Amino acid sequence: MADEYPFEISPMFEGERVRKDGMYAELAGPKSKGFELVRSAEMDDVEDGKFTLIGPDLSDMEQGSRHPFAMIYKIAGELVEPDLESIVERRNHEFQNYIQGFMHLNQRDDIWLRVSKDAVEKGMTSFESVAKAIMMLFKNELPFIEAVEAIYITDMAEIEKEIESVREVYKARDDRTRDLHDEDVDTFYGCTLCQSFAPTNVCVITPDRIALCGAINWFDGRAAAKVDPEGPQFAIPKGETIDAESGEYTGVNEAAKKLSSGEFDRIKLHSFLEYPHTSCGCFEVVGFYIPEVDGIGWVDRDFAGTAPNGLQFSTMAGQTGGGKQISGFLGIGINYFRSPKFIQADGGWERVVWMPKMLKDKVFDSIPEDIRDKIPTEEEAIDIDRLKTFLREKNHPILERWVEEEPEEEEEEEPEVSTPQAGFAAPQMMQAANFMPSMPMMSGGGSGGVKIVLKNAKVSIDKVIIKKQD
Amino acid sequence: MAKIIAVTGKGGTGKTATTSLLIRHLTKGDKVVLAIDADPDTNLPETLGCETNKSIGDIKEFMHEERDKLPPDVSKESILEGKLYEILEEMPGYDLLVMGRPEGSGCYCYVNNLLRGIMNKLVTNYDVLIIDAEAGLEHFSRKIFTNVDELIVVTDGSRRGLRTAERIRELVGEMKTDVSNIYVIANKVTDANRERIASTANELGLELIGMIPVDEMIIERDLAGEPLFDLPDDSAAVQEIEKIAQKLGL
Repeated sequence: MADEYPFEISPMFEGERVRKDGMYAELAGPKSKGFELVRSAEMDDVEDGKFTLIGPDLSDMEQGSRHPFAMIYKIAGELVEPDLESIVERRNHEFQNYIQGFMHLNQRDDIWLRVSKDAVEKGMTSFESVAKAIMMLFKNELPFIEAVEAIYITDMAEIEKEIESVREVYKARDDRTRDLHDEDVDTFYGCTLCQSFAPTNVCVITPDRIALCGAINWFDGRAAAKVDPEGPQFAIPKGETIDAESGEYTGVNEAAKKLSSGEFDRIKLHSFLEYPHTSCGCFEVVGFYIPEVDGIGWVDRDFAGTAPNGLQFSTMAGQTGGGKQISGFLGIGINYFRSPKFIQADGGWERVVWMPKMLKDKVFDSIPEDIRDKIPTEEEAIDIDRLKTFLREKNHPILERWVEEEPEEEEEEEPEVSTPQAGFAAPQMMQAANFMPSMPMMSGGGSGGVKIVLKNAKVSIDKVIIKKQD
Repeated sequence: MAKIIAVTGKGGTGKTATTSLLIRHLTKGDKVVLAIDADPDTNLPETLGCETNKSIGDIKEFMHEERDKLPPDVSKESILEGKLYEILEEMPGYDLLVMGRPEGSGCYCYVNNLLRGIMNKLVTNYDVLIIDAEAGLEHFSRKIFTNVDELIVVTDGSRRGLRTAERIRELVGEMKTDVSNIYVIANKVTDANRERIASTANELGLELIGMIPVDEMIIERDLAGEPLFDLPDDSAAVQEIEKIAQKLGL
């Protein structure tokens, strides 16, 4: 790239591994200490291009030795703000790996670097050349950085002196990012990893909704989509907000249509009963509507027993999974219990009437205090009768719904109460309606109509006549 | 591109011994080798005389257990990559990676997807990848390894061992993994069963590229639990492996 550095710089060296056999020096890493930190500063406090080294330089290090290592970059510029620090910091990893014979792993206070013998032989004898190259890349690739200064530390005492305050900076950053919500962003992320067995599954990952498998949060989606926008995780523009409470967005609905090949066209991210999120099959927990108490129970993969509706996780998962949208059942990731928007369209925690003990313990701190001891587990209720009794005894907020809906409920749910399996009748019917193009409804005005889904279809038509029916 | 060799076969046929002797051969040259123990039941590290503590299974479990506690802003790919480099055992001439225990009941799609990307990158650092794989070839069907240049099935003199080779060939046909060549190495061969093995292999249409004779030195070391990596050059098994390696172009 440039002759002024005694090494080559190119993205093709990314992923290059320096093995122990070929290593000149190991810096930081699991057997030593170190960190990397980018701080934003005022223009006056940054001397552009300056490099300071505290401790021994590469040329002072013995071949095969290990040393503590820290890097601090101070950046300034009109557009530089603290929120950009972590983004710039992440690029340090990338840019250092562009340097031939230089290996950089991990982030923050976990960094682990190696310099190869070859690189030292070719002239990399000082960290100054490395720091200068990184500063050059920062300014070239991130034009908002107008001035940058680097301080490298190889002295253990100095690193130990700094490391606690550096960890405070990381922690403050984490607290800030954890406080991110759906309304704060304009992009959600989708994932198609499950589509191989759940072809119509539409996985939407938002700051307030982790993927159903529990493995991918919004930040993971963002990181993956940035690296490979065409990969299994990709951006879903949020679009217009149709309803913030239930979590309905035009962008999500469009994505739903596309990802499910037209099977679904509406998804409410924080709804259980109406247009809920689809369920893949990997979900950690399945929620089930219990008509007898108008509440929602949850059962997780690890619970081998039977829920009060008479069913086990595996049975409900089988009914719910495969990428279907079923009102009455919903697969979620455990972390969704910790979301402030947890099924808020249907009453949130006040609608929760049952959980296995292990699961309840796991998310205990996220349950609103006044309801914690009102949610029974398998220890208190294993069937509907005992569930009803428990909820009544504890005065669970669900009781308010019973009073309101009592007369109506009698009529509606009577035939389904006897056998637990009957609980499936309703969702399955709705499912069928979704699959078949429904008959046109001729009564009433212009609403309703036909939904026709064509997949892999070839249609050739000579003539079509559409007439209004009298 | 690294040449990828997978060694598999029915349990007890000596595929781990064969793998370690092939690694022994490879490290004598100037090739950089990545050895992978992909059979939860084998003991490749022990056979090579290398101590390992942690496996890919352990770090997958770590990612699974810790996922909600990891800093939101730190990329999980970077964490997984760092952990993988930590468990990569660096030996003279080769690195060793142990796949380890099977997955738990949760969904590992995401972490496997990250792992695939990291492995693809890692593999470019080596000249040869040699994998000691269980007969079910799970890591191949999961696409942790995408293509195989030479699939070697190790068998003993039994018809069952050769049947396993046949079944593995069928399995490979069903998987979407690209396998360029499938060969069979007969192990623990004696003068009494030599011809019989050759004719059975022929009958089943299997390409036999070597017959490792029963080697007293291996038997002794197996009994004592000692590594096979430093067997002397004049061991009968080592000499046969040299010939096989030549045929494989190693």
